[in-house]
Amino acid sequence: MHALQIYIKNLMHANYFSLFLFFSGIIIFLCTHTDIIMIEISHLNLNFKNEIIFDNFSLLINKGEKVAVIGESGKGKTTFLNLLAGFIPDYSGNVSIFGHELNAENISEIRKHNAWLPQDISLSVKTVRELFFEPFEFTLNRDLKPSSESVSQIFSEFDLSENLLNKKTNEISGGQKQRIILASCLLLKKPLLLVDEPTSALDEKIKQKITDYILKQKKLTVIAATHDDYWIKSSDKVIEL
Amino acid sequence: MEKVIDINYFELFTGYALMLIPVLALWYYKTGLVKDTLIATARMTVQLLLVGLYLEYIFKLNSIAVNIGWVVLMTVIASYTIVNRSNLKFKLFFIPVVLSGIISIAITDAYFLGFVVKLDNVFDARYFIPVTGMLLGNTIKNVVIALDAFYKRIDDEETYYRWHLANGATKKEALLPFMRDALRVAFNPMIATTAIMGLISLPGMMTGQILGGSNPNIAVKYQIMLLITIFSSAVLNVVLTIFFSNKFAFDAYDNLRKDIFRK
Repeated sequence: MHALQIYIKNLMHANYFSLFLFFSGIIIFLCTHTDIIMIEISHLNLNFKNEIIFDNFSLLINKGEKVAVIGESGKGKTTFLNLLAGFIPDYSGNVSIFGHELNAENISEIRKHNAWLPQDISLSVKTVRELFFEPFEFTLNRDLKPSSESVSQIFSEFDLSENLLNKKTNEISGGQKQRIILASCLLLKKPLLLVDEPTSALDEKIKQKITDYILKQKKLTVIAATHDDYWIKSSDKVIEL
Repeated sequence: MEKVIDINYFELFTGYALMLIPVLALWYYKTGLVKDTLIATARMTVQLLLVGLYLEYIFKLNSIAVNIGWVVLMTVIASYTIVNRSNLKFKLFFIPVVLSGIISIAITDAYFLGFVVKLDNVFDARYFIPVTGMLLGNTIKNVVIALDAFYKRIDDEETYYRWHLANGATKKEALLPFMRDALRVAFNPMIATTAIMGLISLPGMMTGQILGGSNPNIAVKYQIMLLITIFSSAVLNVVLTIFFSNKFAFDAYDNLRKDIFRK
């Protein structure tokens, strides 16, 4: 308390230039510090299907970081991604994404900046083209509809033939479906990508190629639930559940 | 006009022998529907015989308030049947289904009876009650199919719905493919039946009118208008029911509530 009194006294005697420097420093610190945080979790408690998934869990993820979430099956990797995508409302503690607290009021705003790839999408039969372009039909994403060059480029990066676009979703393999949906998510150019076992249905060679492609996107924050060693090694941060 | 051949009560009773075919088939294939079929047939018989009695009274009375009350009662019973037949919880879905039924009936009845038939009194019991009965009776099946298809598919394909939400779709946009499918499932059979009307099947109302001695030309015109009115009433009812029930079937994060389904 005494120290604080001396500090305030000194501050009152300081000249305007010192005060300007002092407050500018604080503002610059706050701006740069808060600007680099993508996700802030503190004291998270979460039970799911009668199991404790998180008990007083805290975590900070910076923008552009590539995070691998690992752990045995049933430990809550998918639940963690579902929580961040707003699919598990019953939790206690603080979860903040892009500076917005994760709650019912902010969820629409938070989802505007997300791309989310579940492990498996069960869907009625439709053409691959419909599936691939579906997210670009949403009002929010209409301006992001990719050019044919962008589609060709990402299909080539992901070892996909463009002829697949004319097939039905039940005529392609699980690995092809996974890559097509992943490519669609990436072309949305959202700052945060949540992916659940993104390479689970892929062979080794394609796995590495796709991992490298995603993890080299500097501005993209990626949180992946994964068992894949190459993905884990290539990530900036590993969270074990 | 030719004399109408009446069916006496003994002949009516012998007609029930035809029910042996569905009952035996449903029993043989162990569908578990025999009891329901017998109850439904008994209910239908008692209800229609009673309708014959009290319609005669209501037609004589022809009071606007009684007629409206009667139609509201019919809508409530239809809504009860819809929710009971669906896989959804009664206490959550009953009110939206009643509300949608009343709105769709009010709009289509007003148009058909007031604008097309140009009745001086659209609440005239002789028109208002049978036409509304036709609309409700033909809508029940569509609403049950559409409601079940809509919510069951969202539940079955939850990741697909969530994939939409989490990649920038509004709730309305995320629900669009499910709405589209529910309408397809509910109305494809109706479209097929409408397309072959007169070629393979002769609709019940028209047949009834002709048997009752009406001019076939007038019967046909009424039938055409009724089919169109039934179609628009059914679509309106389905769309409104899904629209109203959407308001509470999802949580504040737009996730489908699991407690809307009956266990």
